[in-house]
Amino acid sequence: MTARLTWSDAATLIQRLGSVIGLALLFIALSIMSPDFLSAGNLLTVLRQVSINALIAFGMTFVILAGGIDLSVGAILALSGAIGAGLMAAGYSMWLAVAAALGLGALLGVVNGVLVSWGRVAPFIATLGTMTLIRGLTLVYTDGRPISVTNNAFALLGDGYVAHLIPIPVVLMFVVFAVFAFLLRGTVFGRHVIAIGGNEEASRLSGVRIAPMKLAIYGVSGLASAFAGIVLTSRLHSAQATAGAGYELDAIAAVVLGGTSLSGGRGWLFGTLIGALLIGFLNNGLNLLGVSSFYQLVVKGIVILIAVLLDRR
Amino acid sequence: MRKLALIVAASLLAACSQQGPGESSTASSSTAGGAPASGTPTIGLALSTQDNPFFVELKDGAQKAAKDANVSLVVVDAQNDPARQISSVEDLIQKRVSVILLNPTDSSALAGAVQSANRANIPVITLDRAVDGADVASHIASDNIAGGKMAADFLASKLNGKGNIIELQGVAGTSAARDRGKGFDDQIAKTPGLKIVAQQPANFDRAQGMSVSENLLQANSNVQAVFAQNDEMALGAVRALDGAKRGNVLIVGFDGTPAGKDAVQSGSMAATVAQQPGDIGRLGVETAKKLIDKQPVEKTIAVPLKLLTKDAP
Amino acid sequence: MNAPLIRMEGIHKAFGPVSVLEGVDFELVAGEVHALMGENGAGKSTLMKILTGIYAPDAGRIEVDGQPVSISTPADAERYGIAIIHQELNLIPSLNIADNLFLGREMHRFGLLDRKAMRERAKEWLARIGLDALDPSTPIEKLSVGQQQMVEIARAIGQNARVIIMDEPTAALTERETATLFALIRELRTQGRGIVYVSHRMEEIFALCDRISVLRDGKFVGTRPVPGLDLDEVVRMMVGRTLEARFPKRTSVPGEVRLQVENIGDAAVHGVSFDLRAGEVLGVAGLMGAGRTELARLLFGIDKPSQGRVLLDGKTITPRSPSEAIHAGFGFVTEDRKALGLVLDMSLRENVSLPKVPAHAGLVDRSGEKKQTHGLIDRLKIRTRDMELDVRALSGGNQQKVVLAKWLALKPRVLILDEPTRGVDVGGKAEIYHIINQLAEQGVAILMISSELPEVLAMSDRILVMHEGHATALLNAATATQETIMHAATGGK
Repeated sequence: MTARLTWSDAATLIQRLGSVIGLALLFIALSIMSPDFLSAGNLLTVLRQVSINALIAFGMTFVILAGGIDLSVGAILALSGAIGAGLMAAGYSMWLAVAAALGLGALLGVVNGVLVSWGRVAPFIATLGTMTLIRGLTLVYTDGRPISVTNNAFALLGDGYVAHLIPIPVVLMFVVFAVFAFLLRGTVFGRHVIAIGGNEEASRLSGVRIAPMKLAIYGVSGLASAFAGIVLTSRLHSAQATAGAGYELDAIAAVVLGGTSLSGGRGWLFGTLIGALLIGFLNNGLNLLGVSSFYQLVVKGIVILIAVLLDRR
Repeated sequence: MRKLALIVAASLLAACSQQGPGESSTASSSTAGGAPASGTPTIGLALSTQDNPFFVELKDGAQKAAKDANVSLVVVDAQNDPARQISSVEDLIQKRVSVILLNPTDSSALAGAVQSANRANIPVITLDRAVDGADVASHIASDNIAGGKMAADFLASKLNGKGNIIELQGVAGTSAARDRGKGFDDQIAKTPGLKIVAQQPANFDRAQGMSVSENLLQANSNVQAVFAQNDEMALGAVRALDGAKRGNVLIVGFDGTPAGKDAVQSGSMAATVAQQPGDIGRLGVETAKKLIDKQPVEKTIAVPLKLLTKDAP
Repeated sequence: MNAPLIRMEGIHKAFGPVSVLEGVDFELVAGEVHALMGENGAGKSTLMKILTGIYAPDAGRIEVDGQPVSISTPADAERYGIAIIHQELNLIPSLNIADNLFLGREMHRFGLLDRKAMRERAKEWLARIGLDALDPSTPIEKLSVGQQQMVEIARAIGQNARVIIMDEPTAALTERETATLFALIRELRTQGRGIVYVSHRMEEIFALCDRISVLRDGKFVGTRPVPGLDLDEVVRMMVGRTLEARFPKRTSVPGEVRLQVENIGDAAVHGVSFDLRAGEVLGVAGLMGAGRTELARLLFGIDKPSQGRVLLDGKTITPRSPSEAIHAGFGFVTEDRKALGLVLDMSLRENVSLPKVPAHAGLVDRSGEKKQTHGLIDRLKIRTRDMELDVRALSGGNQQKVVLAKWLALKPRVLILDEPTRGVDVGGKAEIYHIINQLAEQGVAILMISSELPEVLAMSDRILVMHEGHATALLNAATATQETIMHAATGGK
């Protein structure tokens, strides 16, 4: 790397750091405007609130980087959570329930991958279909009722703390972030994800096997959603049949706010973390400021639009 | 390296607990909870949704009462998502409000949030729906069983003790749906000439109320009355009956929302069992004020209902 | 003589700290075809973008008919009668010819589109450039690239353009289409219009143009009349030195047979057979649509053959996917590097290692990857300040070298090159030829598809000529001539 910085470098840097700068500005503004904002307790609370969306968004980042989209994440979250809770309610051990939920999530993701690669269905339509299908299966399985979880060890996943301070969902979020960031930047798999998003045909002609890659990419997204489903079920002490409705849009918003291009090939996982935090701090700050929830939606919409406009090329 | 990781992991696990920062019993009693040292006390109101006029009226009642009592009121809205409501309650705890008025999205998922508030010495009053598995200072709701009974009695007299009835049910698992249904069904069972020929959930939603009614009317041609467990579903049924040109079917709703009252006035609905959501909100704030002033409050407060017809508005 | 149609004087343009044009002069008179030449990155397209109002110059003056003007938007350029025919055609494939001709300036009556009037006017415009046979209601996607270009020219003329800029107009044309285009350009010249002709193809420029202006590194080198000018002079103006030879010589002799292709075919290729030796360059010549690229796609496993087989070192392999082909030892430098060869938003380093990322157990070996990239940058003389730069930012010639580097990293046994020097400037071409020779000397079997006959003749050992999906001749390059190749390529015996 040379030390010389050209204009295009500077532009790229600003584009990349836009989300970080946005988060910093929001942080400063909220600290000044709300006396309750800047406390360790509140910040950790926000991190915990963010963790569910961040986990889903980490998986979504892979899909979007590869030029796809996954609308089924919220539905996978609901069904995985329900199956996990159902197994525990039926007396199976917590670890078996968690493993089954994660496995199911990954499998549902792979189904998305099959539809998109071998079925040649546009990702938007394919995952819209599986979203509806999985929502239906969840209602069938739960009969529309919440499934309560009484397992105390399981409840720790969502409610517990490490060293009496850091909520376990936050720790899980950072662990998954570290693993996924390494997967994206340090492995051949990650390299190929970005290559497919940048130019699928050129990647194919360079010997990248597109179909197995897509199965894996959507599988990662399903796995991440299932993981989020487990944490959410643990936090709610119950699996809700309608859990995660609309979460796909929050996850996509986090990815895009983080500077990942919706057309694929450009982006980073750290940005997604920042994007999720931006949404979380915005929700928290507006609540602390007592802003009506109607205006909260307006503000969130404006923030997303600004981010997308800044991302234009 | 691996050994080190094991030791770190083990010590982290050992440090895991369900107790969070600032929640150890000695620290909390002196700092958290109670009114802030200066200024007017703040009450938090966590609504399940504002999509439904009922909850908007409840909020308006609370806001008016807060103004009269010279307390400030912070309103947060969960958009019917239990996870979002937990976040909102956490935000209210971080804001150190004196009392939280909670209108839960769901009876089971919010227990953890209520416990968190209790640990932070913030009393919780539930409005309209109860929370299972957690202590609340007071529960304020309409007497829904009595309301169901009122609707049944009204239909019995209007139909002269003879006829077939369709029942539109609310969100499964909510206490409102359970109690209204129980009051209505038990009373109908006492009149041998009356028969509930079909009952199905339409989730308190107008659009679903319409489509469910359409389906049930297709299946049951000989129907004289519809009982909907809220006005929104009843108004959906009005649309369905209009479409089917079945003007002679009596429709009874529940809640007494402005739109419901209008429909009763215009004759498209026969009656509505009016709740006083404004009163629920008002009583919530007044009860909260009592708690702030260290006065005793009742564990459950039943808000009276009123049957509204065209002749007796 | 009257004032020139266009005079640009002392044009400066910088993007941030990077100066792209430094005091460039350019003049175009009525009734001339004026070539604008220079290596990639010399500033030709920036100069033309200033003339067409896409960029504003930082300094300098522009005169039209001797009057100083300011051209700050494309609409201004259109008002002064300046039109540009882009390399990437700006037509909407699903709309028909008339719709495209009137796009943005539709004729209407009472607010309704007047399709009939537009069709008639379109017919008139097409006739003016000798395209009477074309029906204005034909959708653009049904036309050949050459016909589409004609439609663009018709649009420019319909708008009464007096200055027409053509950017590499023959890049995608067949010989016959090129001849038609040249006839049209000569006709436009006699009508008193001025044509700016941007191209790398020396033969065309000498055949067509009246004057040549050369840019180098953003500076104006000079304008020369074509009569009496020789090729070496132009090359010297462009690169600042004479190239020792346009086509470097190769010394090696082909070895054992490496690749045998037997009767291979699908919908576009009809039973083609040949063999290719280690260290041999087999040129593949033919017109557009002769099935050359389709043949390459079959060999590389992109399309599935319906007949025939492929043997590598005597073993049947017939690849069923690119990844199988690569595994067997094939490399494929595609014709369209932006669409098929590169991931533009990835760095040079990441593009080079796309076919095979240096890795241990799936984990990327960063230092190994950097070392490999460094080696290839040196070997191919890729000019970049940084291997982390996105390939989007590189010039065409350097991008083409990155595509080559991708396959060199794999040490292929058979390398297929599809138009390896298209859109590459003179200096870059010589370097690519040098690399091809090097690879052949190392024993790589090379199949080189090219539409430039001098290139095919000079670089190949043997030449396979194709016509409409059939192999019509297999010539010895030492004895073949452009005439014998063209004869076979047009289906003659």
